[in-house]
Amino acid sequence: MKKLLLLLIASSLVVPLASSAQRKTKPRTRTTAPLYNSNTREATLKNQLSNALRMAQGGQYEAAANNLFTLSRRSELAAERPQIKYILGTMLMELKLNQTAAFQFVDVIRTKHPKYSKLAIEKLSIVADTLGDDTILNYAISRVDLNDFPSNLRDMINYRLGEIRLRNREFRQAAELFGKVSFGSSYYFQALYNKGLAELEENQPSLAIGTFNKMLDARRKAPVTDTNKVAAQMGLARALYQKQDWEASIEAYAQVPRDTLMWHDAVFEQSWAMLRAARFRSALSNFQTLHSAYYEDFYMPESLLLRAIVYLYICKYDEMEKVLSLFEKTYGPVRSKIGDFLKSTNEASAFYAEIEKAHYMKTTDKSSNLRLPYIVLRNVLDQGDVKRSMHYLEKLNQERARVESNPAFRASPLGQYALKILANRGKNTKFAVGDMVKAHLLNMRVELRDLYEQAGFIRYEMITGRKESIKKKISGKDIEQIDENIDRQFYIQNGYEYYPFQGEYWLDEVGNYHYLGKQSCE
Amino acid sequence: MLKNGFKAVAIIILALLLHKAAFAAEVIELPPEELAQESVLPVFDKPVSVKNRNVVTDKRIEADIFYGYAMTEPIANVSKLGLGIYYNTSESSAWGLLLAKNFAGLSSYAEQLDEQFNLKFDRAPSPELTAMLDYNLKAFYGKMSLSKSLVINTILFGSASAGVVKYVHKTYPAVAVGLGQKFYFTKNWSLRFDLRLYANQAPVPFLAGSLKPNEPVPDYSDFEERVTFTTNLDVGLSYLF
Repeated sequence: MKKLLLLLIASSLVVPLASSAQRKTKPRTRTTAPLYNSNTREATLKNQLSNALRMAQGGQYEAAANNLFTLSRRSELAAERPQIKYILGTMLMELKLNQTAAFQFVDVIRTKHPKYSKLAIEKLSIVADTLGDDTILNYAISRVDLNDFPSNLRDMINYRLGEIRLRNREFRQAAELFGKVSFGSSYYFQALYNKGLAELEENQPSLAIGTFNKMLDARRKAPVTDTNKVAAQMGLARALYQKQDWEASIEAYAQVPRDTLMWHDAVFEQSWAMLRAARFRSALSNFQTLHSAYYEDFYMPESLLLRAIVYLYICKYDEMEKVLSLFEKTYGPVRSKIGDFLKSTNEASAFYAEIEKAHYMKTTDKSSNLRLPYIVLRNVLDQGDVKRSMHYLEKLNQERARVESNPAFRASPLGQYALKILANRGKNTKFAVGDMVKAHLLNMRVELRDLYEQAGFIRYEMITGRKESIKKKISGKDIEQIDENIDRQFYIQNGYEYYPFQGEYWLDEVGNYHYLGKQSCE
Repeated sequence: MLKNGFKAVAIIILALLLHKAAFAAEVIELPPEELAQESVLPVFDKPVSVKNRNVVTDKRIEADIFYGYAMTEPIANVSKLGLGIYYNTSESSAWGLLLAKNFAGLSSYAEQLDEQFNLKFDRAPSPELTAMLDYNLKAFYGKMSLSKSLVINTILFGSASAGVVKYVHKTYPAVAVGLGQKFYFTKNWSLRFDLRLYANQAPVPFLAGSLKPNEPVPDYSDFEERVTFTTNLDVGLSYLF
């Protein structure tokens, strides 16, 4: 990369001089005095440009960037502007000021310069990829024929294009693009995972199983907590679930290690598979963990309803009642707070402010005054689009810190320009995040409304079941129900059948709680 | 010998009782594939080892009464009774004041010396009172289960103290370091064990030509002084307010 840069700068040193020489041969039509002044000024500028390029070649990136930035604004050097801006961009890349560099490359692309536009697109795609900025990347990709991209960038472009297709729900095309990413590329495993996802969305679980198995095979020697390996395992479990192979799916979920971020989701999803496989006791064992104090910050209304459904299947109506009450007690206020918040504001900035406070709480041990429940905001923070944008904001902050840590550079016109760009991008991204948060909150509100309806149906089934149970009791057909013992202490002593959130729970025990109750149905 | 026999019988009876309690409930076998296969911990943003702690000490006062046994004291009475009051500034630190009154008289060893060699060690100055400022660093919070229904929480801590040891005639500065363990059998009550190594200036009780009955009674100032190390075991009962 460095060698290429030096070569490019070296060739650039020749170009201005050559173009200057060519112009000298052209006949002058103006009067001598202004011509003399103009020539002198132009020569001075060319000289400055040559100096700046020499600085760039000599590794004095900051000084070169400052000089190039000044020269890029001179009208006398309009013809050289694409070249100046391109090299300025590469200097900024060297200084790790990717966002500021991206703007130089966009300017070059707009000029449609036969040589530098194409080079700028390549560079823009690299900085956009580093920043995780889809807007810029899409701009770069839309400006050029993909075949014109150098082969070393083709994997990245295919991967990014696949992502765009996936977002647009064009699953078949997305899978094709992901399939083009070659083995050995740093995008290979992400592409393989996304290919599996696209295949699942296309309702082709068998294909997806093949894809995830391929990924697992490729990562066989990786450590157990390797992100790609775990993601593949999770994908495989989901694909098996989609294929309705419950037992295999349960087995695959069980392979997700506890010391990975995906474990919680694996336990929850495995509970669904267990319910479908009629392994009720096993499903209830999982809920001992999922509903333990360790997950009190997690938004998971569905898991409480699922637990109630499992109790319904084994005729544990008292337990059902308790879980449904817990659902209403926990998510009733959540629902109303989301509704109130959505009614109170429409401003993207207000939504962003709320998520920023939650992000602060999540990343530090400090608390903050929130208008929305933390479990809601934590869930929103974990959504892919929000996470990505927050990551992008983090990159912008790092870049701003880099500029501000250098007082001389900060005071220079280029430093001021960079800060202005970063402030602007930051502001727009915050608005975009605010809109994303709002969209997620709207979805949550709809989801909670549906879940409340389901809770109503479950409660109805519970009442019917209880009625039947009383009828059997009257007719003497009833079997003994341990639920009749209202003393919760009994359950705790009998192996944590009921989880009262009052006990002491240890991190190293999470995942080891087991349900030891029995079926109460006849 | 008889003492050890009693101890053994007591342990066996206790074990049988606990054994009965432990196996009173129905034995339930879990499918092996559903048991945790690894010993790693789940991942959280902010890992906390214990949620809903049974014993919360933070910003709470704890008072204890203890019996102290000087394990390496040759002459003076090895027993003392004490009081302590601690303030827990956090879940990891506590500051306290200790006051212990020594029992009067001599150690059994000193009495043996008197019987065999007619040496009157009660002529030597003996410690009367110990007052220390104590800092506790609570290193580990744990639990142990004695049966299915009896779980005891434990706190293992290190201690560092500074204060004075008052002898009948003079008061000497003292420092101590130690290791302690508390067993909480309720959320407030605990048994506390402290093993401390004291270092303080103290009179040497062995004074030639002054300890026999026919010899002149020495003045307390006649006894030489030197830095003395004493290992002390305190056993007490604590209450967390």
